[in-house]
Amino acid sequence: MAVEQTDYEEIPGVILTDRNAISDFVKKTKAQDILNWGRKNSLWFTVNAMGCCGVELLSTGMAHYDTDRFGIIPRNSPRHADVLIISGYVTKKYLPALTRIWEQMPSPKWVIAFGDCAISGGPFYESYSTHQNVDQIFPVDVFVPGCPPRCEALIQAFFELQKKIEAKQDRGTEY
Amino acid sequence: MDANTMIDSLSTQFPDAVFDTKVESKIRIFAKVKPENIKDVCMYLKGNLSFGHLCCEFGIDFPDRNEIEVVYVIGSYDHSVVLTLKALLPRDNPEIESVVSVYWNASWYERETYELFGVKYLNHPDLRPLVLPEDMLGEWPLRKDYKGFPNKTAKNLV
Amino acid sequence: MMDEKVGPSEMIVHLGPQHPMMPGPFRLNAKLRGETVVDSEVEMGWLHKGIEKILENKTYLQGITIVDRICYLAAMTNEEAYVGCVEKLAGIEVPPRAQYIRVIMEELSRIQSHMLGTGEYASFVGFVSMFMYTIRDREDVLSLLDSVSGTRITHSFLRFGGVKDDLPEGFKEDVKRVFANLRKAIDSYEELFSSDDIYRSRTVGIGVLTPEVAKDIGVSGPPLRATGVAFDIRRDEPYLVYPDLDFKVCTRKEGDVYARVQVRLDEIRESMYIIEQCLDQMPQGPLFPEGTAYGRRSPIMRVPAGEVFNRVEDPRGEMGFYMVSDGSDKPYRVKIRGPVYPTLQALPPLIKGVRVADIVAIAGSMDTCTSEVDR
Repeated sequence: MAVEQTDYEEIPGVILTDRNAISDFVKKTKAQDILNWGRKNSLWFTVNAMGCCGVELLSTGMAHYDTDRFGIIPRNSPRHADVLIISGYVTKKYLPALTRIWEQMPSPKWVIAFGDCAISGGPFYESYSTHQNVDQIFPVDVFVPGCPPRCEALIQAFFELQKKIEAKQDRGTEY
Repeated sequence: MDANTMIDSLSTQFPDAVFDTKVESKIRIFAKVKPENIKDVCMYLKGNLSFGHLCCEFGIDFPDRNEIEVVYVIGSYDHSVVLTLKALLPRDNPEIESVVSVYWNASWYERETYELFGVKYLNHPDLRPLVLPEDMLGEWPLRKDYKGFPNKTAKNLV
Repeated sequence: MMDEKVGPSEMIVHLGPQHPMMPGPFRLNAKLRGETVVDSEVEMGWLHKGIEKILENKTYLQGITIVDRICYLAAMTNEEAYVGCVEKLAGIEVPPRAQYIRVIMEELSRIQSHMLGTGEYASFVGFVSMFMYTIRDREDVLSLLDSVSGTRITHSFLRFGGVKDDLPEGFKEDVKRVFANLRKAIDSYEELFSSDDIYRSRTVGIGVLTPEVAKDIGVSGPPLRATGVAFDIRRDEPYLVYPDLDFKVCTRKEGDVYARVQVRLDEIRESMYIIEQCLDQMPQGPLFPEGTAYGRRSPIMRVPAGEVFNRVEDPRGEMGFYMVSDGSDKPYRVKIRGPVYPTLQALPPLIKGVRVADIVAIAGSMDTCTSEVDR
C-alpha cells in the first residue's frame, strides 16, 4: 500500500509503506510468536489501587509474594505500562479518569478484572454511586473472583494471561 | 463537673431554646434545641463547659413526621461526657445556621449533609458537593423517597 | 475555596486522582509560586459507594460484612464499633473469653496497620527499602490473623454477643515465635530511622502541629498524641477488657513528622505487650452468652427502638457509629464517623508555605485512608 504523500522523492527500486501494513503482515507469520513471547514475559502493570483489593495488589508486588521474578513490575505512569488491573469498585465519578488512564496506555494492552466488584459490583451491587458492569466498557481478558482474592490468585491470573497471549487468543492485541 | 450539673447549667442558661433534656448514663446526655439558637448554644458549650470536639454532624429523614433532624454529637478532650443535640427542621424547606465559626471542622460535615439531604446552611463559607459527582446534585440520595436505590442493573451475579 | 486567578510566576497543579501516594484516589489542587505552596484545596468523592444507604436495606447480620469494608486497612475496629452499637441497644452481654479474643484480634489489626502506614510513609520520602522490610514482616502478622479468622483482610469475624470461632491450637506458640522476630525488627527500624541523616533532615521540624491547633482541627489518634495530648479512647471511655489491662498511652512532645512515626512504632510495642497479657489472663468459657440462642440464631433479629453512639480507638484515631433503630430487622439510619475526615479537611492550612517535596511527607505522615473519608 503506497503512501499518498508527495514529500518523499521517488527513488527507483524503493517501495514505501506505512507501519500498520508491516504490523498486519507480521501478524500472519511466525514472527508474531517471537513478539508474543517477549511481551508475555514482561508484563508491567499500572499502580492503580482503588478499593480493598488494592491492598492485596500492593502486597503481591512486594516482598514475599514477589512478582518481579516473573518479569512483572509496578509502574507509576500509565505510559510505561501494559496491563491495567481494575482492583475494586468503579464509581461514577472515577470512570472518566479510568477511561483516560486506559487511553493513555500504548497498545498492545490488557485488562485484568480483580475482585468481585470489577466483575459484577461486589457487595455494593445496590449502590447508587458505583458503576456495576465494568466489563462492558473495557475488553477484559481475565476475571479473578473473590472478595478479596488471595495474592496467589493474582499470580495465577497473570499466568492465565500469559497462556492466552501465547495461544494468540487475548483481546489486547488486534489479530 | 458531672453529667447532671452540665445539663442543668445548659437548661438554666437557655431556658426556652433547649428543651426535652435527658441523662442516659454517666457519659451520655441528650437535648433538643431550636434551630435559631444553635450557634449561641454551641458557643456556650465550647467556652464554658469545655465541649471542644465536634465528633460529627449529620441528618436523619423522617417522612412520616414531615421533618428532617440535624444531629450534632459533641465530645470533649478534657472529660468523657458526650452530648447529642438535635434540631428539627421542616422537610419542605430545611434551613439552619452554620456552626463553622465555632467548630472549624464542621465545614465538610455540613457540605455532605447539604448534598445528601438538601439542608441549606446559612453563612457557610463554601457550600459545594463533596462526595457526589456534580451532575447528581439535587437528587438528595439519602432521603427515604429517593428513586434510584436499590440499583438493579448488575449482571454476572451468581 | 481556592482562588483560581494566578499572578505572575504562579501556577496551579492538579495532583490528580491517580497518583503515587498509595492510599486511594483524591485530588489536591495546589497553587504554587515557584516551589512554595501559596494555597491549596482537596477534592474527594472518587471512592464514594453510599454505604450508609446500603446498610438501610440489609439486615443487621448482613451489615457486618459491609461495615468491614469501610476502612480496609484496619478491619476489626470497624466491626467492633458496629457490633458494639447493636449490643448496647439490645442489652447483650459478651462473655469474658470472647472479649479477650476480640481484644487480641483488634490489637493484631492495629499492629499490621501501623506497619503498613510506616512503610508507605517511608517510601514517600524516598526510603524504599524500609517499605520492603515492613511489608515482609507484616506478612507474618497477617498469617496469624489468617489462622484465626480465615482471611487476611476484611475478616467478618465478630458476631452479636461473641465471636465466630475460638483460637486454633498452638496459637500461643505461634504468637511467641512471631513476636520474638517482630521485636528485633521494630528495634532495627527505629535505629535505621534515627541514625539516617538524610531522613532526619526531611522529617525533623517539618509539619509541626501545636496542641491548640490540633484540638481546633479535630484530629485524633497518633497525630494528636505526637503533640503531647494524651487522648486515647481505650483510656477515656474503656470498652471490652481494657480496664483490666496494663498499658500506657504513647505521646511525644515535638509534633512534627518524625514524632508521629515514633508514636506509631511505640504503639506497636504496646500492642504486643497487650496481646501477651491477654493470652496469659484469658479464662476458659463459652463464646456466646449462656442460655441464649445467639450462637445459632437465625439471621432475622429485631433490635429494640432507640439511638446510640459508640466509639472505639481505631489505629488512625477515633471511630464512631451513630445508629438509629426503629424496632424492625433493618437499621433506620447509620452514620459512620471516620477518624481521618477532619485530618484531610485540615490539609490546606497545614501545607501552606512549604515546598512541593514536603507535601507528600506531611500528607503521608497523617496516615490517611481515603476509603473511609468517602465511605
